[in-house]
Amino acid sequence: MNDTLIRDSLKLANEVLGHSLNAKSTNYWFWIASAEFIIIALLIFKSKTKVKVTERQKFKNESLNNDIDFHNIIDSSFNSTQLYNELKIKCHPDRFPTDKIKNEIAETLFQDISKNKMNIKRLLELKEEAKQKLNINF
Amino acid sequence: MLSNTWNSIVDWFSDRSKRNNLVRSFNESARDAFIQGIAPTLLKANISKGESSYKHQFSDWLNTGYRIQAFTGRELSKNELIYIGQVILADSNLVRKLIVLGWDTLEIHGDAGNYGCRWQLKDYIPLPNFNPKNNE
Repeated sequence: MNDTLIRDSLKLANEVLGHSLNAKSTNYWFWIASAEFIIIALLIFKSKTKVKVTERQKFKNESLNNDIDFHNIIDSSFNSTQLYNELKIKCHPDRFPTDKIKNEIAETLFQDISKNKMNIKRLLELKEEAKQKLNINF
Repeated sequence: MLSNTWNSIVDWFSDRSKRNNLVRSFNESARDAFIQGIAPTLLKANISKGESSYKHQFSDWLNTGYRIQAFTGRELSKNELIYIGQVILADSNLVRKLIVLGWDTLEIHGDAGNYGCRWQLKDYIPLPNFNPKNNE
């Protein structure tokens, strides 16, 4: 009689242990699911509260996207005056008083030269243009 | 709130890096120009304290001056200093970049003598008036 009781209690204990083991595995999956839910919720929250690009930020980004030609700036700092002085004399519209077409070209060139007097790269381009269009020898 | 703070921190570090790159690029170009004989004077850029009364909406808290020093070994005339400054200010892209990276003052100095020239950068580019309430 006592033996059967002991066997039954052992069986019962095994069953209980079996249940608790199953419960542990259920808990394990429960936590994984919870973590996934939290990650998904955070991602959704982040996408909803996406940082808006303000006007200030837009202005800043546009300004930073421009490339700076430092070589041209430094070259212009020391060598643009000489070239400008040469070009402003040789390309002056008054040097073409009889030829109307050349006079107009010289006027446009002269305006460009005055506008870019501190940009040696542009002045060199204008010099080439003057050579071709006005047949000026430098 | 947390996201804004995080973005501000990231922006701050990113701006530091861009400021240093801008100074480094200028110095490299100036050195190359000097070595190749394009420029008779070695120019060197660095960051200075700046002038507090030149502040604008993009100005940094500290060190808002972009200083260029010309190593000539002689005292530069005022016209020479002004011309170097004007060439830099004539490049609107560079001025815009300097402004948005927190600089508000451009300074040109020689390596000898006690004087230099300085300009208020915001005078050379139209800055839009941003409403601070929309930028939070």
